[in-house]
Amino acid sequence: MKKAYLPLILLVLVIVEGLAINLLPNEIVLSTNLIIAHWVLVFLVYIAVYYDVEDTYYSITYAFIFGLLIDVVYTGILGIYMFSYGIAIYAIHGLQKLLHRNFYVLLILGVTAIAVADGLIYMMYTVIGVTDMIWSDYLLRRMLPTILANLLFLLLLFPLFKKRIVQWSKEQLDRGN
Amino acid sequence: MRFFRNKRLFIFLIGFILLVVLVGYTFRDRINVTFAEEFINDAVGWVQYVVHTPVNFTTDVFTNIKDFRNTYEENQILKEQLSQYRSLIYEVQEVNKENEELRDVLDLMESDSIRSHEAIQAIVIARSPERWLEQVTINKGEKHGVQANMLVMTADGMIGKVQSANDVTARVKLLTGFDQFNRISAMVSRDEGRNIFGMIEGFDEETNSLLFRIIEESEKDIAEDDLVVSSGMGGVFPAGVPIGTVKEVTSDQYGLTQIALVEPASDMYDINHVIVLDRAVDQVDESSEAADEEEEDNEE
Repeated sequence: MKKAYLPLILLVLVIVEGLAINLLPNEIVLSTNLIIAHWVLVFLVYIAVYYDVEDTYYSITYAFIFGLLIDVVYTGILGIYMFSYGIAIYAIHGLQKLLHRNFYVLLILGVTAIAVADGLIYMMYTVIGVTDMIWSDYLLRRMLPTILANLLFLLLLFPLFKKRIVQWSKEQLDRGN
Repeated sequence: MRFFRNKRLFIFLIGFILLVVLVGYTFRDRINVTFAEEFINDAVGWVQYVVHTPVNFTTDVFTNIKDFRNTYEENQILKEQLSQYRSLIYEVQEVNKENEELRDVLDLMESDSIRSHEAIQAIVIARSPERWLEQVTINKGEKHGVQANMLVMTADGMIGKVQSANDVTARVKLLTGFDQFNRISAMVSRDEGRNIFGMIEGFDEETNSLLFRIIEESEKDIAEDDLVVSSGMGGVFPAGVPIGTVKEVTSDQYGLTQIALVEPASDMYDINHVIVLDRAVDQVDESSEAADEEEEDNEE
């Protein structure tokens, strides 16, 4: 039963992402800056850093599944979020082996994941012609605000979930071995 | 080790092919979504509808408090407008009566007009976090009569069209996300047959306005603050739905036609209640054709 906690939380985040824009004040929504909620990705970073051990790949599997779910529910163009999230979390999973597990590493990996995923989304959407924003505009008006806003969400999750995820990891993955 | 490296390359290539196939298959506006997608969308939509209610309530409370401050000024303006409307109502009643009489003379049914439509009320339950796509989800679907390509409006004016309909939810593409593949035939109404016809060709993010390309010039040029409405000539949307007001008129990049920058009539960010308009006149009567075929089959 406890194994279902992580997918359930991710599912709730997918659903709540659709209401994310209501939380922002109108001044920010109407300005030229685009803030995209990557809450699922942020939670996946927690799973990659604090739940997965070296030879388990839960975070990457979840990244593909819930990326696809976001594509189905919110964009209708399948595959974009699925592969962006998958590749970003794959990179985080690889980097996490090289670094210690602490708060600052989590921040760095969080920023990396959002930058990689959103960059890939931008690249793919440019290729298929959904957007024609030039890259300097993109960096300043979309990537920067998005990273900052999602970093805030990352910090918000820390006191709520860090200990729980570490505990779930100990309980569930040790028993498996 | 070499095998392992090859395996990784192999997975990467398979993944890449899968990505291209998926994106290629689903990229263009699809009217029919697969059964699995429909099921997921409906299930998620149901939960979103439940979650959306308390969230909306709290945000509404905040905006209400803000609104209280300028109630007095608004009241004054509204009173003024109300007195103007009274004379307008009388005029509209007379015109309506006359219109009905003339229709009777011509033996036209109400449903023959491109203006007539059936309205389906709906609530916006979610907005796509991906801001480049500009999509929202509404809580009515095929079960309630919503179908792809129907016009969606608020009380102020048009906000978009239904991109795809699931069983009990539907995905709406907002005007701000329209591109050259989603044109609306529109017009500026003038008296004595001097209407200015054109097409809404897309949304310009820099000026935050819709691009209205004028096909047919009238004697009198288009002016600022003219109301642009849908013309119904495209065969998809009903006529007479306000789209926006003209903000500025420029010529296009070749200097051949004029383009008007149109400010959308309704707010694209603060949408809650919407109306889906089903055009009463069938553009091509597919259902009757299908019925004919069935009859033929039966005869055989």
